[in-house]
Amino acid sequence: MGELLQSSDGAIRLADAVMRSAGGRMVWLRLAAPAVQNADAEQLGLATPAYQDVALGPATFHKANSVIKLLISASAVHEVLGSLGFDSADVLFETAVGLFIDDLLYKITNSYSSQAMGMPYCYWLTLEPPVR
Amino acid sequence: MQNAKDTFYEVLRSRLVALNPERTIVLRGVVRPGVVVEENELLSSAALPDCFRLRWSVAQVDADGTMPLATLVCSVDYETAGTGMNGGMDRGRALAAMDAELQGAVNALPRNVLKTNYSGLANGTAALAMNTRAWWSEVAFGATITKDDRLARTATVQLMSYQEAGEL
Repeated sequence: MGELLQSSDGAIRLADAVMRSAGGRMVWLRLAAPAVQNADAEQLGLATPAYQDVALGPATFHKANSVIKLLISASAVHEVLGSLGFDSADVLFETAVGLFIDDLLYKITNSYSSQAMGMPYCYWLTLEPPVR
Repeated sequence: MQNAKDTFYEVLRSRLVALNPERTIVLRGVVRPGVVVEENELLSSAALPDCFRLRWSVAQVDADGTMPLATLVCSVDYETAGTGMNGGMDRGRALAAMDAELQGAVNALPRNVLKTNYSGLANGTAALAMNTRAWWSEVAFGATITKDDRLARTATVQLMSYQEAGEL
């Protein structure tokens, strides 16, 4: 365990293992497809953008008081950052439409990371459930 | 009312682009003029700095005349942190520049335009010119508000138009 924590990569693997053993699950991050250049229809709200759902996991819920927080594996987030060309996880979560969990779209209201040696090993997302 | 709102946005956008073509934003991966209608965008673009964000608030319809007269209040929110290279010390000047651009675009004559129905764009057909005009007031500036490292202001414009038969 001690050796595993010697590198930030080890912290990521340890966090993934803990989340999997705690019943970690998959969630889907909904992203809007890039806009169309000079498209008046989009700017006037006439055209709905296409959406792309990206799987992230393992993820586990953390519920304290009335605030819903989701803990997501940094390895999954970093994979998405690399493949979709986002500058940072902050930008990814800020521009996302929300998170799909059990057919419900949750709004992401805040995000931050837990770090080991300056590298994130998991991300915390504060979620707002849909209004029914 | 929707046609008047769409027409006003199109006019304001083209005037702002003419005044300062360098005021652009990147929204959903695309560079576009720095003016958006909040209700037409994703919630994630709500607090974009250095651009004009149009928000439609009060709506009133006076049905006494031969045609219903619709009056809408358009709130224009904008905020800036100045230039990062200057440590934000020019944020007052940056806000003043935005004030001047908005004033120039809204107050320029004529302050009326033939209303256009843009709904056809949704299925690929052209926008249609309508029979009546939309017109608007001079811009009224609100107080400067400090939001952390940003200076913000809300300006308001009153937009009026006659409702044509069958119009939304």
